Amino acid sequence: MDEPVVKLDNVWKIFGDRSQEAMSAIKERGITKPEVLSEFGCVVGVQKATFDVSRGEIFCIMGLSGSGKSTLVRHINRLIEPTEGKIEVLGRDIGSLSSNELREVRALQMGMVFQHMALLPHRSVRDNVAYPLEIRKIPKSRRWAISDHALGLVDLVGYEDRLPRELSGGMQQRVGIARALASDPAILLMDEPFSALDPLIRMQLQDQFKALVAQLQKTTLFITHDLDEAIRIGHRIAIMKDGEIVQIGTAEEIVMNPADEYVREFVQGISKLKLVKAHSIMEPVESYKGSLEGAPEADHKADLDQIIDLAVNTEQPVVITDSGKPVGLITKPRLLRGIQGGKE
Amino acid sequence: MTPSTEEQDNGISVTAASDIEVDHEQLDISIAEFVERNPDYYQNVFHKVHAATSPLPNTFNWAAALLGPIWGGFRGAWGFFWGFLILEMIVWVQLGRGLWGNPGAKFEERAEGQLEKAAEFKQRAEEALAAGEDATRFEKLFDNMSTAAERSLTEAQILNDGKFMVFLTGVALFVLVKLTQGFYANKIYERQYSKWRIDPEGTESGVKLRNLVLSLVLVTLIAPLTIYKFTVESPFELLNQFPEKEISGYFLEEENETLYTESAKWLEDRIDAAAVAGQGLFDGLTAGVRSVLEAMTLALIVTPWPVVMVVVCVVAWRAAGPRVSIFTGAALAYVALLGYWEVSMETVALVGAAVFLCVIFGIPLGIWFGKSQRAYKIAEPVLDLMQTLPAFVYLIPIIAFFGTGNPPGILATIIFGMPPVIRLTALGMRGVPRTIIEAAEAFGASKRQLLRDVEIPLALPSIMTGVNQTILMCLSMVVIISLIGGGGLGQEILIALQYAAKGPGLLGGIAILLCAMVIDRIVQGAFRREI
Ligand SMILES: Nc1ncnc2c1ncn2[C@@H]1O[C@H](COP(=O)(O)OP(=O)(O)OP(=O)(O)O)[C@@H](O)[C@H]1O
Ligand SMILES: [Mg+2]
Repeated sequence: MDEPVVKLDNVWKIFGDRSQEAMSAIKERGITKPEVLSEFGCVVGVQKATFDVSRGEIFCIMGLSGSGKSTLVRHINRLIEPTEGKIEVLGRDIGSLSSNELREVRALQMGMVFQHMALLPHRSVRDNVAYPLEIRKIPKSRRWAISDHALGLVDLVGYEDRLPRELSGGMQQRVGIARALASDPAILLMDEPFSALDPLIRMQLQDQFKALVAQLQKTTLFITHDLDEAIRIGHRIAIMKDGEIVQIGTAEEIVMNPADEYVREFVQGISKLKLVKAHSIMEPVESYKGSLEGAPEADHKADLDQIIDLAVNTEQPVVITDSGKPVGLITKPRLLRGIQGGKE
Repeated sequence: MTPSTEEQDNGISVTAASDIEVDHEQLDISIAEFVERNPDYYQNVFHKVHAATSPLPNTFNWAAALLGPIWGGFRGAWGFFWGFLILEMIVWVQLGRGLWGNPGAKFEERAEGQLEKAAEFKQRAEEALAAGEDATRFEKLFDNMSTAAERSLTEAQILNDGKFMVFLTGVALFVLVKLTQGFYANKIYERQYSKWRIDPEGTESGVKLRNLVLSLVLVTLIAPLTIYKFTVESPFELLNQFPEKEISGYFLEEENETLYTESAKWLEDRIDAAAVAGQGLFDGLTAGVRSVLEAMTLALIVTPWPVVMVVVCVVAWRAAGPRVSIFTGAALAYVALLGYWEVSMETVALVGAAVFLCVIFGIPLGIWFGKSQRAYKIAEPVLDLMQTLPAFVYLIPIIAFFGTGNPPGILATIIFGMPPVIRLTALGMRGVPRTIIEAAEAFGASKRQLLRDVEIPLALPSIMTGVNQTILMCLSMVVIISLIGGGGLGQEILIALQYAAKGPGLLGGIAILLCAMVIDRIVQGAFRREI
């Protein structure tokens, strides 16, 4: 998880005819999004987005409706040209590719799941899933074998020869997921892929997806509205507001230290038990004056759930260890505050 | 716990839709901005218009009622201006005719002429008597003429007596128009305001001196002349007829040439020159069209008739089912039994060749126009022209360039028949959802793959409708192209027309109808299965 696969550097996107003028006005005068709208009639879709995503990482993007998530992700396969900034994918500047090179990168390296499915209505489910392979001129026998396998992954066996319109919304969404997986790309761009699914199948797909990404080292940008989903599958989460990324961090960082009121509101009400790790709420060993004889021990990576299991049976604090050595401890008051979420 | 306290507990207040108050403040500001002059009045009446629950008007605008079209022009309501200008003119003409018009003038004139003639006959009769000849014939003519003159005079009298009634209708109409203006002005103006809210740049608002002057000038230019022309008999010659001869004489040197003859001559020379210059091109085109036609003819006429019949029936069955197949069989039997077999097949070959060429060139053009907004903008007027220009107009240059016979006929058919397939292909291309195109692009589809796998399949229903329309348009040309030597059933009809032969004309007409119906049914059936 170190070499960056996707790298965005100060990417801006302004929609509208006068986007260049608006861009220079922003640079010179620092006007805000509503001012850009009233002065130039331009919508700021994404502003100063800078981040890296490394190999095998699932990078979740969250934010309210209209905050620019889809717009941001579309830059990565250049469905949208940035007004300003640079996007590198696998070390190549996407903006400088010729149209042939771009097509090749899209076909070989990237798979995308669309918020609005975007299936081909006149093709069977199987041919939809096989379409990215067909573009790459892979023979039909292999195409069909691969797409049948991908349909198996999303639990759609038996629907291969149906037309998309004969499927429910959630099933269509799964066809979209299978299509993105079928081309076996290094990078997956997923725009709310699980939003139309029921909780059971969603959970199952999330687990599968996580395993798949870990196994095949796929780099994923994953848009979701659902914080639980982001926490469950995301290695890191970016929170967007009005086109701007207001915070990037692991689930734990974001939940424990929200950057501002907006993020705090976003993450409030989330259960911290499985999320917060012992090391992030522990106190130094020296701060405890009493005896630690016979106190229960836990690894610094244990979550609050496990600490509670240990703490209920004793009056003493729980000692936190790192490779056997004690590095801190958690008292009961500390534990309760930790469950509440970082309140002092 | 009642629901309302619960709301308060949550700190969220919810207003039921029925409790929502109308907020006039924002609205008033925007209305004032729109009307500029007299905002208080218009805020008040617009509120009333907004509050109205019935379609009948509930306000009366005195300014509009008094000033009529000028109010409309002043306020930039040009629809109001023109509509009521025309209505008011009708009213004024009516009033003028009632006041100073001379409705019986035509009959009085006629009576005068008749009296003159009668006097002439009388004189002839007297001369005859004086010469000792028989004068009864002239006396009879004189009697007849006199009674006719008398009748004309009474007619004129009746009309002149009716003048007062004309005036009364004029007054009634006047009151009606004024009331309508007053009652509907605010409603119309409010609609303009609603439009202005959506499109402030493109909608006139406020009051402008320019508009006032423009409407005054228009009214003073149009109204008096028109009223004068309608109410006074035999006004200046100038108003009756456009003085094109005089203007021509002004421009051109020779006395007897007009602009019309000059430009016609000029055009004729141009066309002749072009025909000579483009000889090779036109001959090539004709040859191309002829080869397509020959292939069609070969298939339909040279093939033995039983084979063609069976094939057509089987195709109908496969494409559109047994019913259409039976109908096709009956139609073919009619055509064959009446001896129309060969000419009908010629017609089908003509139409088939035209449709083939329309589709071959129309679909690519449509795809291009569907993708390029600019190209479509340029092409659209041309397409409109191709469809609205009466066929007779372009038959002439076609004869000049391509001569007569079947190939030029096919070219004329193409001009008329091609627009629908182009238009509907373009429409279908533009209707392909952006998201699906994007998905294909995201998977690396090239332009060609995109076209083949996404755009054309998704536009196909629209393209097929276009092809079907083109077929029908081409069929409707079969009679017209016989004017420039096109053969087939059209020629039969043309001959029947020339001799006013009702029977043959009708039989031939039914044969064309049956051909059209068979083709239409088969093609539609095939398309329906395809989609
Ligand atoms: N093609 C476009 N032209 C103009 N404005 C656009 C365009 N696409 C998106 N926008 C604007 O960019 C902003 C962000 O849109 P985007 O689709 O990225 O939102 P989102 O975060 O994906 O929202 P959602 O969760 O509802 O899908 C919106 O304000 C939208 O109006
Ligand atoms: Mg979106």
